[in-house]
Amino acid sequence: MRLLLVEDNVALADELCAGLQQLGYVVDWLTDGRDAAYQGAVEPYDLIILDLGLPGLPGLEVLAQWRAAAITTPVLILTARSTWSERIDGLKAGADDYLTKPFHQEELYLRVQGLLRRSHGFANQNHLSAAGLRLDEARQRVHRQGQDIDLTGAEFRLLRYFMMHSGQVLSKSHLAEHLYDGETERDSNVLEVHVNHLRRKLGRAVIETRRGQGYCFTGNGASQ
Amino acid sequence: MKGSIQRQLTFSLALLLIIMLLLLSQVGLWVVDHGLRQHMQDNLQAQAESLLAALEKGPQGIELNRHKHDAVFLKPFSGEYFVIEFDQQRWRSRSLWDFSLTVPERRGFSNELIAGPEQQQLLIYQAEYRRYKTDIKVTVAHDYSPVLVSFQRAQLIGIGLGVLALLLTLLLQRLLVRRALQPLEHVRIQIEQLQLGQRSQLEQDIPVELQPLVQQVNRLLQHTEETLQRSRKGLGNLGHALKTPLAVLMSLLHRDELQRQPELSTAIREQLEHIEQRIARELTRARLSGDALPGAFFVCAQELPGLFQLMNRLHGDILTLQWQATPELRLPYDRDDLLEMLGNLLDNACKWADSRVELSIEQQGTAYYVRVDDDGPGIEESQREQVQRRGSRLDEHSAGHGLGLGIVGDIVEALHGTVQLLDSPLGGLRVEICLQQRA
Repeated sequence: MRLLLVEDNVALADELCAGLQQLGYVVDWLTDGRDAAYQGAVEPYDLIILDLGLPGLPGLEVLAQWRAAAITTPVLILTARSTWSERIDGLKAGADDYLTKPFHQEELYLRVQGLLRRSHGFANQNHLSAAGLRLDEARQRVHRQGQDIDLTGAEFRLLRYFMMHSGQVLSKSHLAEHLYDGETERDSNVLEVHVNHLRRKLGRAVIETRRGQGYCFTGNGASQ
Repeated sequence: MKGSIQRQLTFSLALLLIIMLLLLSQVGLWVVDHGLRQHMQDNLQAQAESLLAALEKGPQGIELNRHKHDAVFLKPFSGEYFVIEFDQQRWRSRSLWDFSLTVPERRGFSNELIAGPEQQQLLIYQAEYRRYKTDIKVTVAHDYSPVLVSFQRAQLIGIGLGVLALLLTLLLQRLLVRRALQPLEHVRIQIEQLQLGQRSQLEQDIPVELQPLVQQVNRLLQHTEETLQRSRKGLGNLGHALKTPLAVLMSLLHRDELQRQPELSTAIREQLEHIEQRIARELTRARLSGDALPGAFFVCAQELPGLFQLMNRLHGDILTLQWQATPELRLPYDRDDLLEMLGNLLDNACKWADSRVELSIEQQGTAYYVRVDDDGPGIEESQREQVQRRGSRLDEHSAGHGLGLGIVGDIVEALHGTVQLLDSPLGGLRVEICLQQRA
């Protein structure tokens, strides 16, 4: 999962980047509204956390630009503007969720999780479940047929992405873009290594290889 | 309050007209009366002289030639009389018949009217001549009562005409004044609409006399709105300046160094939350416009769907949220104020509800009723007053009914309304807010 954090307070952004990375998200951080408007429209983010009081361009205008350009990436507004009229205006501008500062980090992480699940069609679920697997996002474990299986950070990231895009064919470059930070990590063959690790833990058929196209999470092995 | 301009104008005009009419009619009558009497005096003088001319020296001394004087002196009570006195003799005109005319002592024209026969009022002229070596005193009288009668009639007619003219003038004046005051009435209606939130500015298209007033009102409205916007923006910035560092501090609590000191981090967290609640409460209160802006309004059908969309996003997965309002209901209050009030009310109800929260807004006469019902545990009657008290529960860890209702209380107070905590038909708490329309 690749997130964009747009926040002009450096101290807060540092804390959030660290916290989100710990949860297995790839985080890009921007401080200027104009940069955000451009990068949010160009890069394939899974979710954007947007502050409203930004230098360069106000957050609400950035959001309006994205929505006008038919960018449907879920946006969570994170702002000190806490009145109900501002929250409503934020939602009307196209935000998917609204969290006011100050906030508890856990609250933000839960909202991010919830928003990601909702945007992938997993509404009203406390856990991410697909094809007989249940992912425990807090403990980074997967539950299968009454059995808890521990995952490494990289495996957790990969499985979460697969489960959210269950049944879709995902190319290597697509996966690399959404899961890995920096060119070195993307160029290496870590992806194949992690896919193999997951197959070893969950069964070979969980992830199919489509030659020349990429991978597809089918969960066949898990549901048997 | 001073009475209406219309009534004042009518009253003063009526008074002025009555005085003018009375004065005019009296002076007019006096002038005519005076002129007539002068004319009569000349006539009487001429008559006296013609009588003198009718006296002839006959065989038995002085005689009156009947053919030489006017025939009216022969007809009884004709209204023209004479008395001729000389040498102990006293001749009376035949017209006097058996009436004895009291001849005044004064020579010349008598100003007072003297009672004559058959209730006649006589003007009298007396002159003394010397003829045929004899002093002759001639007194002639003329009945003035027909003139008096016609004067009375003229007075009656005059009063009638005067009253008619008065009524006509007043009616006309009423119409004219109403027409002239129409722009004022127009402005009055617009100000009423302003109070009801049906408009936010007064129209500039009015007579020159009222333009400064309307422009000033508009400028004041605009100024108030700008000031409010500015202070809201300033408060927003202040909030931002305070809340972002607070958010950083809260994030820092997750640092391993602090996690290893649970007591310390709990204490810091509590204090941070205290600061946060305090800021939230005070900023909300400072942002309220109350009734500073008379042109502000809140259209239920426009604002409630957005609010409920937000509420559904926050609580919709577990709760059923519903609202109902009188169709096309507009509340004459600031949008931000009402959204803040409703948002806090609903959010509070959602925190406590088991499955349902309902909002209803309706107008009853000159009051608006806002009711929020939930099916949660409700609040014991004995504790309701305590919950409503300002700032209660503010220090406690969980922002329960207390904080939310505290902010609601602040807003309702600014809008001059009342809050009541009641039992809800859904089983939980009903918060009922009554807002009285401004006069």
